[in-house]
Amino acid sequence: MSFLRALRRVHPLIRANFSNSRVTSRWISSTPDLHNPEAAAAAVPEPEFRPRTPVGGARIEIQNPDDSVEVFVDGYPVKLPKGMTVMQACELAGVDIPRFCYHSRLSIAGNCRMCLVEVEKSPKPVASCAMPVAPGMKIKTDTPIAKKAREGVMEFLLMNHPLDCPICDQGGECDLQDQSMVFGSDRGRFTEMKRSVVDKNLGPLVKTVMTRCIQCTRCVRFASEVAGVQDLGMLGRGSGEEIGTYVEKLMTSELSGNVIDICPVGALTSKPFAFKARNWELKGTESIDVTDAVGSNIRIDSRGPEVMRILPRLNEDINEEWISDKTRFCYDGLKRQRLNDPMIRDHDGKFKPVTWRDALAIVAEVAHGVNPDEIVGIAGQLSDAESMIALKDFLNRMGSNNVMCEGNGLNPQADIRSSFLLNSNIAGLENADLFLIVGSQPRVEAPLVNARIQKTVRATQAKVAYIGPPANFNYDHEHIGTGPQTLLDIAEGRHPFCSAILSAKKPAIIVGAGLFGRKDKDAIVAAVETISKLGGVTRPGWNGLNYLLLNAAQASALDLGLVSSPDVIRSAKFVYLMGADDANLDDLPKDAFVLYQGHHGDRGVYRANVIFPSSAFSEKEGTYENTEGCAQWTIPAVPTVGDSRDDWKIVRALSEVAGVRLPYDSLMAVRARLSRVAPNLLNVDARERSTISEELRPEFKQKLSMAPFGAAVENFYMTDSITRSSKIMAQCSSTLLKK
Amino acid sequence: MASSLRGVARVQPNSKTLEEARSRTFDFFKKACRSLPTVMDIYNLHDVVTVSQLRSSIAAQIRKNINVTNPKVIDMLVFKGIEELTNIVDHAKQRHHVIGQYVLGPEGLDKDLGMQDQGSSHFLKRFYETNYF
Ligand code: SF4
Ligand code: FES
Repeated sequence: MSFLRALRRVHPLIRANFSNSRVTSRWISSTPDLHNPEAAAAAVPEPEFRPRTPVGGARIEIQNPDDSVEVFVDGYPVKLPKGMTVMQACELAGVDIPRFCYHSRLSIAGNCRMCLVEVEKSPKPVASCAMPVAPGMKIKTDTPIAKKAREGVMEFLLMNHPLDCPICDQGGECDLQDQSMVFGSDRGRFTEMKRSVVDKNLGPLVKTVMTRCIQCTRCVRFASEVAGVQDLGMLGRGSGEEIGTYVEKLMTSELSGNVIDICPVGALTSKPFAFKARNWELKGTESIDVTDAVGSNIRIDSRGPEVMRILPRLNEDINEEWISDKTRFCYDGLKRQRLNDPMIRDHDGKFKPVTWRDALAIVAEVAHGVNPDEIVGIAGQLSDAESMIALKDFLNRMGSNNVMCEGNGLNPQADIRSSFLLNSNIAGLENADLFLIVGSQPRVEAPLVNARIQKTVRATQAKVAYIGPPANFNYDHEHIGTGPQTLLDIAEGRHPFCSAILSAKKPAIIVGAGLFGRKDKDAIVAAVETISKLGGVTRPGWNGLNYLLLNAAQASALDLGLVSSPDVIRSAKFVYLMGADDANLDDLPKDAFVLYQGHHGDRGVYRANVIFPSSAFSEKEGTYENTEGCAQWTIPAVPTVGDSRDDWKIVRALSEVAGVRLPYDSLMAVRARLSRVAPNLLNVDARERSTISEELRPEFKQKLSMAPFGAAVENFYMTDSITRSSKIMAQCSSTLLKK
Repeated sequence: MASSLRGVARVQPNSKTLEEARSRTFDFFKKACRSLPTVMDIYNLHDVVTVSQLRSSIAAQIRKNINVTNPKVIDMLVFKGIEELTNIVDHAKQRHHVIGQYVLGPEGLDKDLGMQDQGSSHFLKRFYETNYF
């Protein structure tokens, strides 16, 4: 409250200086009783004890009644465990306290002072976010002192905040704007110049206007606590305080885009979205991200037929409230390189647009002209479950069983679900106290899984050991080897790491899906399982043997049984690429006919004879299963481009033209079919526990090759057809991945 | 005042009987047929359509409203027809308007392909038209 006292001291001065001018009447007083707190406090009506709704559905569990305390918020009694803060008590009592620096997922800084409340018997207002509750505390959030304190803080904040709102991208969703409307005064007294701060260059994603910064340090805490990079920091003292990167350096984190969301003002905004739209003109659609296997929950903001931006949606079990930069900024790829007409390759090698009728007829004719077992179907990494089941049914009806999904490697194990899922769940990783990461670089393969590991390591000092090529980690880890030799050493008890795994209470092993492509995959899995048995990684109540998948389609493809081996491509005559751009077609005979169905003119198109345009994830309703086996739905946000159609509809139409009509005409009917093959895909947002049944597993007699593990993802920013055609992602890979 | 009176004075009074409305319709049709050669010239339609095809297209449009018996409504429809005709004869439209509306009709280019889809399911027919069904 020292500044309040200061204000009072200044007050008579101002009056003296301007006593003969009209400025006297400009002394700020939004509520008359501010000048007389005592009288106003006396007038407070008797509090009523109706149950109140906590802010944002806040709830607590009191585990130990002895450790709980009772406090009164505006006279309303609240019980909560010791050690919680005054702000949390207020939230439980249904009082929303204004704040800038406090963020529930970051450490407490207590430097903005916006959350001041009055506590009885305390000499001055207290910062509620940083003050722990004490028994019998009487908190008052509505008194003139609290109001005046907020008004004062607001005035100080606005003193150096530019009047940028009409040209600021945060306008309309700015905490400072909203709170100054509610708590601020209607005029300011500062007539001097505002300070200005040099803008920092944080790379191609985050735009900075540092003059707007209110020094809440949320971004600094986010960078060091969640993203795990020490790139941002605070420089200078007092009014010279600035946020920056110390030296000329970009912010190199795969989660950097999240600082845009947590910055309460417009100091950090999205560079690609700058001046593109106002947030109130956008339509939000709650959907799912497909650029990796995590299945982050997102909101797609669109205006008309255009996706304008992608924001995270809260899901405690998957992405908390963060998303990776690839998820957030890949959306401009949805506007480039799109296929919009069915096309056929002419004799001169050029594509010429045709009608759906002609395209389907030609493909059906070719498909009937080859032997059934020469037909091969490959589903791409962005395929949804509906289209994969349609593809499999279609090919089965054509007499072929060669259906696979790219990325699943040779002879995938699909019978036992626990052999391809992240069994301890993403949120469950927080319970582990030791990690063994085998051939996976979680930071680039699944940034949000990595964020969980980072969180765990930070909170509990869990040990991390890593086997694989040299890789970038943002937490302490021990690089114990590069290839299968180390695995063998551990499995046979020769490695020093064995003692660590034996003494761990909840050890977790994470095996990367990049290893699925290796010839000796089964032997590696066998070795990992030996380690798992040895170290008791799977025990009642804890299954720590995890497989970390790479693509959105992988888990549902395995559930649906798209499991043939990629070797069949050698003798294929008709290849149906359903969005498959990364399938290796080198072994494909020269005279084979390739049908490419997809939304982008990406790698798959080079070899294609016929193109069917289909809709992207932002335009269709589809089921995706993430790496922990949780099925989720995408919801269409924008209309399809040109003459394209949903994937399963194309397969269904083709099946009819080819005379093997599939029995479903609507999405509901396809889902009914799904429920017969893999019922778990219809339990949206639920995780079906995979049973542990080691005994059922076939014995592997394979030789382990000693070749070291490779990296599964070379360029984090460009992994699929959407991100490869995105300009922002191209900029990121050129500036941020510079070696 | 004078100007608004002028506008009002030009409009024909409503037909009193169904008979009168009917004869107005015929008058309109004849007038339209008479202007067809000019229309063919203005919009250079000789290589896409013949006068007789256009004539039957007009007749078809009139027959669409065969069930209307209220003389007031018929008057209104005739009025709309005259307006459209004036627009066409005055060259207030462009060639593709005329072709799109009176030569191809609302089904567009697909009209003559209808035979191909016989025997195919409702799903396939809709699939050819749109993604949204
Ligand atoms: S840039 Fe934004 S988040 Fe960072 S300290 Fe400033 S206001 Fe806070
Ligand atoms: S929210 Fe409490 S001091 Fe900033």
